[in-house]
Amino acid sequence: MFVQTLLTGLAIGGIYALMAVGYSLVFSILNFSNFAYGSIIMLGSYIAYFAMVRLGAPMWAALILSILGAALLCFLNERLAYSSLRRRRASSLFFMISAMGTAIFLENLVYALIGAHFYSFPEVFARTNISYHGVAIGVLDVFAIVFSSVTIYALHTFLQKSRTGIAIRAASYDIQVCSLNGVNNNALIGLVFALAGALAGVSGTFLGMKYLVYPTMGWITNKAYIAAVIGGLGSLPGAVVGGILLGVLETFVSAYVSSVVRDVFSFSLLVLLLLVMPTGLFGRYLEEKV
Amino acid sequence: MSGPGEEAVASRNVLDLRGVTKLFGGIVACRDISFTLPAGRIMGLIGPNGAGKTTAFNLITGVYRVTEGSILMAGEAITGERPDRIVRRGIARTFQNIRLFRNLSVLDNVIIALDCHETYRLGASFLRLPHVRRRERAMREEARFFLQAVGLEDKAASRADAMPYGLQRKLEIARALALKPKLLLLDEPAAGMNPEESLDLARLVRRIHDQFKLTTLLIEHHMDVVMALCERIFVMNFGVRLAEGTAEEVQRDPDVLKAYLGEGFKRAQHL
Amino acid sequence: MLQYVFGVISLGLIYVIATTGLAVFTGFTGLFSLGHAAFFAIGAYTAAILTYFYGWNFYLALLAGTAAGGLVGFAIGYPTLKAKLRTDYFAIATLGFGEAVRVLLENLPITQGARGLPGIQGDTNLPVLLVASAIVIWAAWNLIHSRHGRAAIAIREDFVAAEMMGVDIFMGRLRSLTFSAACAGLAGGLFAHYFCFIQPSMFTAYMSTQMTAAVVAGGMGSISGPVIATLIFIGIPEALRVANIWRLVAYGLLLVLIMVFRPQGLMGYRELSLDLVRGWFRRPGKGGKP
Repeated sequence: MFVQTLLTGLAIGGIYALMAVGYSLVFSILNFSNFAYGSIIMLGSYIAYFAMVRLGAPMWAALILSILGAALLCFLNERLAYSSLRRRRASSLFFMISAMGTAIFLENLVYALIGAHFYSFPEVFARTNISYHGVAIGVLDVFAIVFSSVTIYALHTFLQKSRTGIAIRAASYDIQVCSLNGVNNNALIGLVFALAGALAGVSGTFLGMKYLVYPTMGWITNKAYIAAVIGGLGSLPGAVVGGILLGVLETFVSAYVSSVVRDVFSFSLLVLLLLVMPTGLFGRYLEEKV
Repeated sequence: MSGPGEEAVASRNVLDLRGVTKLFGGIVACRDISFTLPAGRIMGLIGPNGAGKTTAFNLITGVYRVTEGSILMAGEAITGERPDRIVRRGIARTFQNIRLFRNLSVLDNVIIALDCHETYRLGASFLRLPHVRRRERAMREEARFFLQAVGLEDKAASRADAMPYGLQRKLEIARALALKPKLLLLDEPAAGMNPEESLDLARLVRRIHDQFKLTTLLIEHHMDVVMALCERIFVMNFGVRLAEGTAEEVQRDPDVLKAYLGEGFKRAQHL
Repeated sequence: MLQYVFGVISLGLIYVIATTGLAVFTGFTGLFSLGHAAFFAIGAYTAAILTYFYGWNFYLALLAGTAAGGLVGFAIGYPTLKAKLRTDYFAIATLGFGEAVRVLLENLPITQGARGLPGIQGDTNLPVLLVASAIVIWAAWNLIHSRHGRAAIAIREDFVAAEMMGVDIFMGRLRSLTFSAACAGLAGGLFAHYFCFIQPSMFTAYMSTQMTAAVVAGGMGSISGPVIATLIFIGIPEALRVANIWRLVAYGLLLVLIMVFRPQGLMGYRELSLDLVRGWFRRPGKGGKP
C-alpha cells in the first residue's frame, strides 16, 4: 500500500512539477504570479481533448497541438493583458487584477460556449496496470512520469546550453541588466510565456487524461502555486522538487486520512509555509516591486 | 561602562553611529562606520556612487537592519527598531529618487506627515466626532504653513506628480519638515538641478535648518551645496570611512581630492 | 413591476455594503483578496443560525454577523499581514482561507452542510437596507477622510514612503481588512434574511469577483465609484436578463480592459460631486483636466 501510494503520488507529482515549473519560469523573470496560468492549462486540456475526439487525432498529435495552442495562448495573454502594464511599470496589484480578470474571462467563456460538461478522454492507454511484486501502477501514470521527466530535462538542457536559455537565466537575476547587454527584453518575455504555455499544454493534457476536462479545472494551479512555494518561488529545480513533494504528500493524506481533507491540507501547508518559510527550499525572497 | 561625563556628551549628540556594518550576503555595503552629529549642526555625507551613503540612511531609519554596530539617537539606542517608530522619535528623511504620494494633492502629502503626531482614535474617526473635525481643520492650516516654508503654498491643490521636478523636491522637504523632526536626513536634495537651482536649494536648507532648529545630515554630490552648508563632512568610499573633518580639512585631504572632488568647491564662495 | 424594481435595488444595496468595505481594502489600501466571499458567508451563517436556531432578534443577529466577519478578518489578517507577505502571496493565502471556510461550511453539522439553511425569516426589507448602506457609506467616508484613512492610502501609494512618514503598515492594513470583513459580514447577514435560504455554493469566487470588479471599475480610491459600479453591475444584467455565466465573462474581460486602458476606473481617486458633474458638461476648450 505504501509503495502504491508513493507511485501514485509520484505520477501526480510529476504533473504538479510541470505546472510549477511553468509558473516559476514566469515568476522568476517578471517577479509576478500569473493567476491566469491555470486557465491556460485548462485550455491546453480542451485543445487536446477536441483534437482527439473531433479531429480523430492520435495522442501524440493531440499533445503537439495542445503544446502549440497553449504556447500561443499564453503568449497572447502576456501581450494583451500584461505588456502595457509592464511598460507603464504598474504596481503588482494591477498585474494581479489583470491576471485574475483573464482567468475568469477564459474560464467562463469556456463554460458559456462549451458548457459545464465534464469530458473524459478516450482510452489511450488500456486500463492495464503493470504489476510488479504486488504493486500495480497504471500505464498512464508511468507514461506521465516518464514524459514529465523528459520534458523537464529538455527544458533544463535548453536553459543551460542554448544562448536563449542563458539569456532567460540571466533575466531571472536582473532583467534590466539583460537589456543593457543587448537582449531584446520584450521578445524574451514573450518567449518565456510561450515556453510556460508549452509546459501548460503538456500538463493540461495529462491532467485531462488522468482525471477529467472541465472549465474550472484551472483552479488546480493552486497546487502549482503551493508546489512552487514549497520549492521556493523563482527556482526551477525548487519547483520540480516542490511539485513531486506536494504530489506525494497529498496522495498520502488522501489515502491515509481522507480525500476531503486533502485540499485543506494543501492550503494549510501553503499558508504555513508563507508565514514560516516564504523562501521555500531553494528560493530567493524577491522584493515586491513598489 | 560610560561615566556621567560621557553620557552627557552622548545625549548632546542627536545621532551617534558606532561601528555600523551592513552586509548583504557577501557584499559589504558599510563597514565599521562611526560618527557623531551634535545638535544643531549640519553634516555632509559624501562619497562616490555606491559608497554606502544611502545605505547608511536606510540603516539609521531602520529600513535595513544593521549586521553589526549600534545607532543612537539622543543617547538612546534605536538599532533594530521598526522604521515607523524611529520616525516618530523624530527622524525624517527625503529620498534620492523622490517618493511622493503621486496621486494625492500636494497638501495631502504634507497632511499625511502631520498625521504622524496625531492621536485621535479609530472610533472617533468613524463617527467624525467634533474634535476630529477640529483637528482636521487645524492640520490643513498647519500643512499650508509648511508649504509656505518651502514656497509651495500656491500649489496646495495640485497633484503631486503634476509639478515640475524641482518643486517635487521641495515638497519632499516640506513633508519631512511636517514630521516635526529633531534630525533631518536629506538624500541628494539637489539631484538633477542646475547650479543656480542647487544654490537656491542650499539657501532653502540653511533657512529651514535655522527656522526649525534642526540637526541635518546631508548626502549630496553637488560640492558647492556641500561646502556651503556643511560644518563637518564625513567621506565614504566602498562602504568605509575615507576621511572626516571640516570642509577645509576635507577639501585638502589628498585621498579625497584623488577620489573625486572637482571644481565644485570654487562655486561655494558665492553663497 | 415596482416590487421587482425594489427587489433589484435591495439586492444592489446588499452588495453595496460589501463592496464599500472592499473598496476601503482594495481601493484605498491596495491589498488584493481572492476570498472576501468567505466573510460574507460567515456573516450570513452567523446571523441566520442565531435567528433560526436560537430565536435571536434580527438586528442583534445582524450585529453578531458583522462582528463575526470582523473577528475572523482580524484573525486571518493578523498572522498573514504580520509576515509582511508580498501582495500576491497574501492574495493566495486569502484564496486558501476561502477554500477552508467553504470546506468548513460544508461539513459542520450546524450549517447543515451543502444542503444549506432554508426557512430563514425575511426581515431584510428596503428601509433596513437603505439605512444600513447609508451608515456603512458614511462610516467609510469618515474613515477615509481621517488620519486612519490617509494612512491606508499612503500604504497603497508607496508603503516604503509611508513607513518613512511614521505609518504603522501592519496596523493600517489590519484595520482595513477588519473593516472590510465586517462590512461583508453585515452584507451577508442581510443577504441571508433577504433570500431566506443560504447554502455554501452561493458564496463562491463569483461573488468575490463581482465585488472586486465593482471596486476596480468604480475606481480605486473612490467610494462613490464602486457604489455606482455595484448598482450598475446588479441592475443592468437584471434589466437585460443576462445569464450569470455571461456576466462573469463580462466581469473578467472588464477587469483586463480597465487595467489596460483606464486603470483609474470610472471615478478614479475622486468622488461623485457637483463639481465633477459640472465638469462633464463643460464646453470643450474651457480647460480643466479630464
